[in-house]
Amino acid sequence: MTEALQRLRRLLVGFETGMAGLSLLLLILLTLGQIIARNFFDTGLPAADSLTRHLVLYVTFFGAALAADGDRHIKIDVVCAWLASPWRSRLFRPLQALGALICLLLFQAALRFWRDEWQYAADHERWQVLLNLIIPVGFGLLCLHFLLGLLLGERRTEPRL
Amino acid sequence: MTPAVIIALVLLAALGLPLFVVLGAGGLYATHRMELDPVVLIVELNRLASSPNLTAIPMFTFAGVALAAGGAPQRLIRLFNALFGWLPGGLAAVALTACAFFTAFSGASGVTILALGGLLYPMLSCQGYRERFCLGLLTSSGSLGLLFPPSLAILLYGIVAGVNIDELFLAGIVPGTLLLVMLLLYSMFMGCKCTVPRQAFSVPELARAVRAGVWDILLPVGIVVGIFGGYVTVNEAAACTAAYVLLLECLIFRNINLPHQLPLLLRDTSLLVGSILIILAAAMGLTNLLIDAQVPMQLLAWVKTHVDSPLEFLLLLNLFLLIVGAMMDIFSAIVVITPLLLPLAAQFGIHPVHLGIIMLANLEIGYSTPPVGINLFIASQRFGKPILLLFRAALPFLAIMLVWLLIVTYNPGLSLWWQEG
Repeated sequence: MTEALQRLRRLLVGFETGMAGLSLLLLILLTLGQIIARNFFDTGLPAADSLTRHLVLYVTFFGAALAADGDRHIKIDVVCAWLASPWRSRLFRPLQALGALICLLLFQAALRFWRDEWQYAADHERWQVLLNLIIPVGFGLLCLHFLLGLLLGERRTEPRL
Repeated sequence: MTPAVIIALVLLAALGLPLFVVLGAGGLYATHRMELDPVVLIVELNRLASSPNLTAIPMFTFAGVALAAGGAPQRLIRLFNALFGWLPGGLAAVALTACAFFTAFSGASGVTILALGGLLYPMLSCQGYRERFCLGLLTSSGSLGLLFPPSLAILLYGIVAGVNIDELFLAGIVPGTLLLVMLLLYSMFMGCKCTVPRQAFSVPELARAVRAGVWDILLPVGIVVGIFGGYVTVNEAAACTAAYVLLLECLIFRNINLPHQLPLLLRDTSLLVGSILIILAAAMGLTNLLIDAQVPMQLLAWVKTHVDSPLEFLLLLNLFLLIVGAMMDIFSAIVVITPLLLPLAAQFGIHPVHLGIIMLANLEIGYSTPPVGINLFIASQRFGKPILLLFRAALPFLAIMLVWLLIVTYNPGLSLWWQEG
């Protein structure tokens, strides 16, 4: 069971690493392409602005999923920082469970938002709605990572690239 | 939101629940209480996709990560050492300048202490500086440079507050330089006091160091000239910086092996950006609900009955922000606190750009104050010293920073000099 969960975790991390890297690279290349197109050819890349803004969401959600896997999200943890290590370990699973629950609720809301958008979008706007799929997918991935954290516990192996 | 729920959320955050989950939970509860569909949270989140300056954050972060992975810290130390090493307290001045320069790119995420602290600590110790001075200097320098372009904190404040980022970049230059000068003077004084030997000024070494470091020094110059000369927008400057750093490290210095290291650099950048921007994403819905529920207006009404003058307000603002800075990470604090403070500041006639500089100055100090000053934790890990010892070591630097904070707060001209004429 643990081995299967670890395999799933590695698959997810591999997918997220690839997608996050690709999105970031595309973001840089598209912005550079825009500069070149504007300054040297007096034109712009079609839909590049909209695409780059969406790519930020892709980098954000895939990056956040990677941060959830490595337990590297920003925390205030004033109390936790001063707790002894065994107490911190005991808190790990309940906090992961809570994280999974909240992300699940946000995933449901995001899915409904996306369905509504899809339903009411004009044909020429559909591609932008498709790009918005990252919001439910992102919250879904975050939920999965918190669930894996809950099941696997604090001692997870480092992700392999 | 009921006080019980607020206390529960604060407690969960204090116990280590990721901040974006806390904000998400707050948003979900608020929609439930106001009998709204939680979809409104996602509608607000989706507004991020129309924020024009947001794209600059991942690209500047990538540049910072690539610089750290390449040899930029070593090159900078060598260059500043050749420039300032001959002064009394010269090596301390080198440390301060290099840290300020590097933090502006690395976004004060702790990379400065990790990348530069390890190099500078043995150098400072060997030259005869007292251990406590070295630790204090390196701990507090981890956030120096937050006010210089292209600081991530400035970008984030500009996006959250809806303030022109070009103006914020300009506004940060004078206060940031003033702090650097104040700390340099203190370091020179300590250099003389500890009778630290001074190294001879060497023109050939300076020439070699300039040859190696000139490419790095051109970066902030290029950004400032590019943006303020009207040649590129903030986003375009970010893309050019990312491409420039990659070319520099791969083709000129050959410190980065593209096929092997690029995936790692992209991954590290995404992780850093993801952990910051997901907080913004989760906070957008909640802050909008708070505004709908007139919370800033209620806060304003309360402040108006208790605070009479802008002077009093600024003093309270400083106290409040210092406490926030000691409790919260800078990026979270900017996202959560800014929407609440903007209407209050406007009421007392404080320019949003000046407010941004005051906020960042306070939060910069918070980096080195317990209980959760991130510089203390990172320095503790890096130098293997207890947090309280590091805090005591940083106290003289924090005292100087507090004086600087008062100067910056009560002299808006330092932040708004670009408006004159």
